[in-house]
Amino acid sequence: MSKVDMRDAFFERLVEVARKDERVIVLSADHGAFALEKFQEEMPDRYINMGIAEQNMVGVAAGLAASGKIVFIYGITPFVSLRVLEHLTIDVAAMQLPVNVISVGAGFTYSTDGPTHQGLQDVAAISTIPGMTILNSSDPINTRAFVDLAIKTEKPHYIRIEKEKLLPLKRLESVQTVIGKGFSVLAEPKKGVLLISTGYLIHQFVEIGEALCKDYDFNLGIIDIHQLKPIYEIEIMRAIANYSIIMIFEEAYSSLIGSEISKIITKNNLSIKTIIVDTGDSFNFMGGSRDQMYESSEISMLKNMELVIEVFKENS
Amino acid sequence: MDPSQLGDKSREIRIEILKAVHAAGKGHIGGAFSIVEILVSLYHGGILKFDAKNPKWKDRDRFILSKGHTGIALYAVLADLGYFPKEELNMLNQGGLLGEHPDPRIPGIEVISGSLGHGLSIGTGMALADKMDKTSRKTYVLMGDGECYEGSVWEAAMFAAHHKLHNLCGIVDRNKLITHGSTESINRLEPFRDKWEAFGWEVIEINAHDFNDLEKAWGTFSAKDEGKPSMIIANSVKGKGVSFMENKAIWHHGGIDDAKFKLAFAELEAK
Repeated sequence: MSKVDMRDAFFERLVEVARKDERVIVLSADHGAFALEKFQEEMPDRYINMGIAEQNMVGVAAGLAASGKIVFIYGITPFVSLRVLEHLTIDVAAMQLPVNVISVGAGFTYSTDGPTHQGLQDVAAISTIPGMTILNSSDPINTRAFVDLAIKTEKPHYIRIEKEKLLPLKRLESVQTVIGKGFSVLAEPKKGVLLISTGYLIHQFVEIGEALCKDYDFNLGIIDIHQLKPIYEIEIMRAIANYSIIMIFEEAYSSLIGSEISKIITKNNLSIKTIIVDTGDSFNFMGGSRDQMYESSEISMLKNMELVIEVFKENS
Repeated sequence: MDPSQLGDKSREIRIEILKAVHAAGKGHIGGAFSIVEILVSLYHGGILKFDAKNPKWKDRDRFILSKGHTGIALYAVLADLGYFPKEELNMLNQGGLLGEHPDPRIPGIEVISGSLGHGLSIGTGMALADKMDKTSRKTYVLMGDGECYEGSVWEAAMFAAHHKLHNLCGIVDRNKLITHGSTESINRLEPFRDKWEAFGWEVIEINAHDFNDLEKAWGTFSAKDEGKPSMIIANSVKGKGVSFMENKAIWHHGGIDDAKFKLAFAELEAK
């Protein structure tokens, strides 16, 4: 199977759904995508470019949703999260309206654009909104499934869509199971070291896992958490309970997954050592490729691989 | 109801507001008094389509109180119409149904409000949905003049005009006072009418306490079946109805002691 742009995966499914469901409306903060053009061409009355006015976009979406529409609002991560944090809280979440934010620009996606365009804070900020589900795409399979989830539940969602082209992850369970519990198990020796990540970064850990398996005969557990909120405690407990070390990697200033997993471990008195790696409490003003941004931060493949080797050896 | 009956109803509503704020210990009485005739004209004057027994009736018009801090004025009107028992008014802010700011748990309340600058966008979305669905419903959004400092108001203003939402009626309670003084001395809003006209709205300027003016304004708005959204600049008096409260910024928010309550009550009863 060839790599797919996550925006195409999402919007192609949205077009399929919207053909049958006239409630579906797309609002864009002057942000485009190839597959979104198809929506615009086929259903011009249900696509509106709102201009660069995100606060109004959220309010209008809430008004449409309160009148029976299911609304998808689309823009670059910081502008459809931080810029409109209060609007999403009050207009959307407090009234549990079916408004779905389609946020493009997770982590260092806009790698040359500096802190104004980085998506390192959105998940932490949005996670403080009661009743807002947060989804983070990691491959075409879950990205497509997010559309159906949003339509089916008719609740507010914050959905991060990757701009990268990605291959489907090799999951050990069906998509339905994975969507139901919020994460995918990609490798499960059920002992030793477990790597947990989300989104684009998970592909790095699949590579690390495969390389270490080949070169060192390491057997690592790997989990992709695509639903960052709510995290289902019982399901997560089952998945992590038999490991002695969990390493959590998140492309964020402060890892939400790290704090959520730590809470579960503490609450349930689990004896699991937890290592959390995120980009830390500093701005990164460099402009470069996404890999260069990783290398200049803690989220570096090289550093992560060294860290995993070190932890694995200590633990063996 | 004819204008004199609407006047009587407004007096009753002001008394309910006064009693509720006194019982609550504090409240936004000044801005509640300035919008009473607007609400009474809409709800009791046969302008809004609604069904108090079926608040979610699908063909109802939408009314959004974007200046949510004056929720007590709307609550008093809704209670009078039977949306919920009048006893709730005197339980304002004391753990009952009604808090300072409206939210849709309360029968008759369409959306949550309290943070300024949200209502016009939400109303714009509702009017847009109605235009898409080709319904005859109308959406009314009542804002404060101080609320118009919020940038999001002007984002919505631009969008609603661009999309020719003739079914959207904004109303600004132009009492010219915010918490700490006059809008014109703190951060000038004038020329206010010109601003709305420049943004592409049909502007109707009226006396907010005159039922003939109000009726004419609703008529002008309702007669439109295409073109621009309408903005009614309703020139009002903050604290209207109680002489010692009128045009005094200090009555934006606060408590009312027993002596002042008696004075205000007597003045409203005597009218």
